[in-house]
Amino acid sequence: MDEPERANDSIAVKDLVKVYKGGVRAVDGVSFEVKAGELFAFLGPNGAGKSTTIKIITTLLKPTSGTAEVLGMDVKIHSARVRSSIGYAAQEVGIDENATGRENLVLYGHFYRLDGKTIRRRSDELLELMDLTEESGRQVATYSGGMRKRLDLAISIIHQPQVLILDEPTVGLDPQTRGHIGDYIRNLVQELGITVLFTTHYMDEADKLSDRIAIIDHGRIITSGTPQELKDEISGDVVSLTLTTDGASTSDGVLDSSREMLRHQPFVREIQEIDGDLNVYVEKGETDLPRILRVMDGNGLTVQTISLSRPTLDDVFLKYTGRTMRDEEGQRTTWARMQRDVRRRK
Amino acid sequence: MSLRTPIWLFVNLVQPLVWLLLFSRVFERMVDLPGFTSDSYLQFFAPGVIIMTVLFGSAWTGMNMIQDMDLGILDKMLATPVTRVSIVLGQVFGSVSTLVVQALLIFLIAWIMGVDIATGFPGVLLTVVIVTMLGLGFAGFSNGLAIVMKPPDPLIAFISFITMPLKFLSYAMVPSDLLPGWIQVAKTFNPVSHSVESVRSLVIVGYEWNVIIPDLLILGGIATLMVLWATFMFRFRTI
Ligand SMILES: Nc1ncnc2c1ncn2[C@@H]1O[C@H](COP(=O)(O)OP(=O)(O)OP(=O)(O)O)[C@@H](O)[C@H]1O
Ligand SMILES: [Mg+2]
Repeated sequence: MDEPERANDSIAVKDLVKVYKGGVRAVDGVSFEVKAGELFAFLGPNGAGKSTTIKIITTLLKPTSGTAEVLGMDVKIHSARVRSSIGYAAQEVGIDENATGRENLVLYGHFYRLDGKTIRRRSDELLELMDLTEESGRQVATYSGGMRKRLDLAISIIHQPQVLILDEPTVGLDPQTRGHIGDYIRNLVQELGITVLFTTHYMDEADKLSDRIAIIDHGRIITSGTPQELKDEISGDVVSLTLTTDGASTSDGVLDSSREMLRHQPFVREIQEIDGDLNVYVEKGETDLPRILRVMDGNGLTVQTISLSRPTLDDVFLKYTGRTMRDEEGQRTTWARMQRDVRRRK
Repeated sequence: MSLRTPIWLFVNLVQPLVWLLLFSRVFERMVDLPGFTSDSYLQFFAPGVIIMTVLFGSAWTGMNMIQDMDLGILDKMLATPVTRVSIVLGQVFGSVSTLVVQALLIFLIAWIMGVDIATGFPGVLLTVVIVTMLGLGFAGFSNGLAIVMKPPDPLIAFISFITMPLKFLSYAMVPSDLLPGWIQVAKTFNPVSHSVESVRSLVIVGYEWNVIIPDLLILGGIATLMVLWATFMFRFRTI
């Protein structure tokens, strides 16, 4: 019944569940669709279940239950055909270190049953596209992390797949290289019209690069939509407050009374506490920021720093989970705090 | 720890050369013992060294498989339309071909050191067939085991365990007549002794078909079984 509707989807995942041996429920009822020609981001903290979902879609892992389809083909039934039509670059670059960049490309060209002439032509083109022409004759063991990721990306598109699946294409790279890889991916979509599903735990990357995003946490999709739609869910602005000077931790009493005080203001929608700082969600920051200050002053509570920002995807994640994604990664720095630090340094 | 890295290829080649140079001097007088078919220990020992090199090399090839799993190399291949069977066969045949080249190099060096090959060049070709089958048997076994065990430690322990007695029971070092009876029984079931026996015959005596043909059949059977075992385990573990 819903077949004609889904015919347009390059990837369709329905009620996917994966329980690993030992009982870890890595994917817990995930459903989403990626439309043809779309650049779709799968965003989530470490251990959210991104790679597990990806491995099921790329036929590397059997789901415990649920289905995944690529171009209308069930990955369990038509696995060989699915493999021919997708390109995949894993989170870990699985490239033969002892071979050169070009040799690796050629090897995979053969794996995809391309003829020698096509392989040679495409290898040249892809090495050029990824800025690896000069290094193509060197052993991969001598490559930097960014070069490996670029080579891996080149390998994954040597057969011009209709669907490209990238698991953390930019993980562990410096911001500049991340930006480059992002550009390459954008170009691919624009020039070849392919569908891309990629995972990331960088908010800004998902925001900038993708047409649509699904945010996943603990094996479940907590929300999805275009970056703008997601940010619009948090209508209004975020006012971040620090209540103490550097180093000293805010006493619980001060925090609680500040929260209590602000909660009762009609213009305040929601308050979140992160590491002793307060994020106050308000309707209109420009006018509400001074109001917050007045309320705090009027009650004898000192505000050390205050800042105003448009909501980010981090706020979206925070809204649904009550945590920031950065906490999950073991860094205590929150987006708000980073913004504040940057401002201080100026 | 990969056999494909240059340093390991080197070690795997140097070790047998040390054996050839050292042991052939140390045991020079052994040929005076009754039971030796050759009057040069080197002549007798060289086939054993060739077989041992192939045996060790191939028994450890499962480590390559484990490494490929760890590094995501295997997953990357599995996501392509290459058939699962050709992936596992590629692993097994790939490592065996390296070992056959090594075996030939040792043969060449032994020949330079003065080993006469009774059957000449055709004998060398037959030796290639023999060591290929021996290698396939052990590489198949090792790869199948790697797939079953996955973490390397049990594999290392197990391979060391089986290769040690296989080596000693295999009369690579001395003729079977000088070994105790129970070892002579054990060697009947040992692919290593069958390969040593036939290569030694090709080097020292000539075409003893009544020895070589049964050995070839047994080695071929073991190779087929073990490659099937690796393939089966691989198909079973992957989708
Ligand atoms: N082979 C496995 N066996 C058992 N548990 C596993 C296995 N692989 C992953 N897990 C667990 O499943 C959960 C999800 O892991 P997954 O790799 O899918 O997360 P992820 O979102 O890709 O995280 P990251 O951002 O760190 O790559 C984690 O709790 C992880 O420990
Ligand atoms: Mg992952």
